[in-house]
Amino acid sequence: MRARPGEYFLQGNEACVEGAIVAGVRFFAGYPITPSTEIAEGLARRLTGTDEVFLQMEDEIACISAVIGASWGGVKSMTATSGPGFSLMQEAIGYAAMSETPVVIVNVMRGGPSTGQPTRASQGDVMQTKWGSHGDYQVIAFAPASVQEMFDLTVEAFNYAEKYRVPAFLLSDAEVGHMRGPLTIPDKIRIVNRKEKGIKRSDEAYDISDELVHPFPVFGKGHKTMITGMTHAEDSRIEPEDPKIHQELVKRLSQKVLMNRKDINKWEVMCPGSKTMVVSYGAASLGAMEVASQDDRIGLLRLKTIWPFPEEPVAEIASHCDRMLVCEMNLGQLYGDIKRVALEAGCRKVELLSKIGGDPPTPSEVRHKLHEMGAI
Amino acid sequence: MELFDFYRKDRWPHVFCPGCGNGTVMNCFYRAFNDLGLPLDRTAFVGGIGCSSRIPLYINSDALHTTHGRAIAFATGLKLASPELKVVVFTGDGDLGAIGGNHFINGCRRNLDMTVICINNNIYGMTGGQASITTPHDFLSTTTPSGNKEYPFDLAEIAVAAGANYVARWTTRQVHELTKSIKTALQKKGFAFVEIVSQCPINFGRRNKMPDPTQLLDWFKESSVRRDKARTAAVDHVDLNLAGQITVGEFVDRNRESYEELIGVVKHG
Amino acid sequence: MKPVVDPKLCKGCNICVYICPKKCYSRGTDISDIGYFDAIVDAHEKCYNHNRSGKLLCELCILSCPDQAISWHPETEEEQSR
Repeated sequence: MRARPGEYFLQGNEACVEGAIVAGVRFFAGYPITPSTEIAEGLARRLTGTDEVFLQMEDEIACISAVIGASWGGVKSMTATSGPGFSLMQEAIGYAAMSETPVVIVNVMRGGPSTGQPTRASQGDVMQTKWGSHGDYQVIAFAPASVQEMFDLTVEAFNYAEKYRVPAFLLSDAEVGHMRGPLTIPDKIRIVNRKEKGIKRSDEAYDISDELVHPFPVFGKGHKTMITGMTHAEDSRIEPEDPKIHQELVKRLSQKVLMNRKDINKWEVMCPGSKTMVVSYGAASLGAMEVASQDDRIGLLRLKTIWPFPEEPVAEIASHCDRMLVCEMNLGQLYGDIKRVALEAGCRKVELLSKIGGDPPTPSEVRHKLHEMGAI
Repeated sequence: MELFDFYRKDRWPHVFCPGCGNGTVMNCFYRAFNDLGLPLDRTAFVGGIGCSSRIPLYINSDALHTTHGRAIAFATGLKLASPELKVVVFTGDGDLGAIGGNHFINGCRRNLDMTVICINNNIYGMTGGQASITTPHDFLSTTTPSGNKEYPFDLAEIAVAAGANYVARWTTRQVHELTKSIKTALQKKGFAFVEIVSQCPINFGRRNKMPDPTQLLDWFKESSVRRDKARTAAVDHVDLNLAGQITVGEFVDRNRESYEELIGVVKHG
Repeated sequence: MKPVVDPKLCKGCNICVYICPKKCYSRGTDISDIGYFDAIVDAHEKCYNHNRSGKLLCELCILSCPDQAISWHPETEEEQSR
């Protein structure tokens, strides 16, 4: 049962659980891994109805596979994991992209590579989320920076996964996942359900053209659906040897996400007119948020959507400022894209403040870097 | 229902090589399914990667052709999301026992209601004849050019030990017994596992002095021993499957409660 | 009933020739349109199901045929009398 609208004080991972339940999750498969385990534990307590399933499986590959299988059974399904488990899931994520299965994957990022820092925060999986599986495909990924956003963006991840039939990610981290803070659950929350084959509803997903996003044929409804990860034609016929069919399919998989960037991209700007803008996301933006709120020479572009890459907001902000500082808790995974777009848009200088090891950049570290750049 | 109402006639002839046992299993499966009068539209077929895992794509119903080795995991999600569906998994020895071994034993342990048909041809056929986990000791393959030094898995015995409700093994030489076992498996509540030792004349037989499918069938006939009559020494030995004898028959038939009954999940929506 | 081999489906594996207990089939000699030496039903009168309808016996060939190429067809009157 979903939590009643109102004020709560929760941990980030617990807020994610509440968001998932509000969004309508009916199937969760998980495997214990720090620092995402609270999401599995929370859903184990909550998914107890006769039409709800919580399943602890033998490994993360099984989890994501079962989640994709459940999605074909017609229910909203998700899994939650962290670095090593996320690496295991990559093949099936490519399968979800190829077979156009709506699934939600929460990655509470921790320091890597390998076992790395299980209890410390990182943003090291940003590129893996986009490029982790083989082949060309597009995904949708959100980066929350607060307990409230763990809730809000979990709901959005479900909405966009369903709307565009893609795997959608919540790229949280140990800092935001374990942070405790206030959560407001509003009365009205936008929920999108998938466009089902043979059913007409007044849902947002039906606004997308059928050529771009095919109606979803739920199993067991007599559609004689064939779902495969191999290159397939419109009628699901396997055609792995036909270059034209492969081109059309793979291009459409990318286009349906890239063409709808305006709908998917979400961001927040503080002090938009500043000559110096910090660009950041997730826990890495916490320090910069404090700096921007105290110093009106400094602005902040905080990205809530990181994939598809939000070119438009970055270009728009870059065209009005002289300097940009990118704050990330990795060695600069989104920096390359931001720099490319910002320099094209006329920004003169784009620098990187990268901090790894588990702690987000502090306000004084951000100020120090901005001072070095000559901004303050 | 005619054979080609059950299978998609427009996809014929299928991709399997001349003499491949997959087609034989397809006949027996159709026969069992049709005799039971199960509703095809309420049955979903799941396959992994490999020759035998292609079978779901030929069936005129919902089919999920998944990643290598994960068919049982996908089927687990599908079954729990729509418990009213009958779920049948088609898989092979490499798909089920090697890359998917973890999901196989845990699937048996979880005892979820599904029927798993494993076509064990003792080789990786689709990739051109590499040794698999069921290639008998000393047999040749492209990756064991001087004979397989490893000993094979016994998939049926693993399923028994791991807790499946129904386990049977036959070869493609025993089509009637196989059909009967598939029928029992389809009716069984819980995890039902049928292993079929099948011929791969092109990639297994050709390298092991049995290039003709009928030679392989003859070998199956000669070496098949009913489980209750199997030599004790061989049953104790890890190499009982194939090198000396192929134990066939029903391995176990029990009625442990299935997982979806235990968690009390019913129809969604 | 008599077994009939569909030349569009048969891949010439000869499993039917091997498996038939009554030796109704023999190895093919002519190449088919899809490039295989199709098995021939040259002694259908030996089949268990000769002059039989309703529930059929044996069926080893039909169940074993990997290419679904064999099916039962009623005999012509001339064939029945043999």
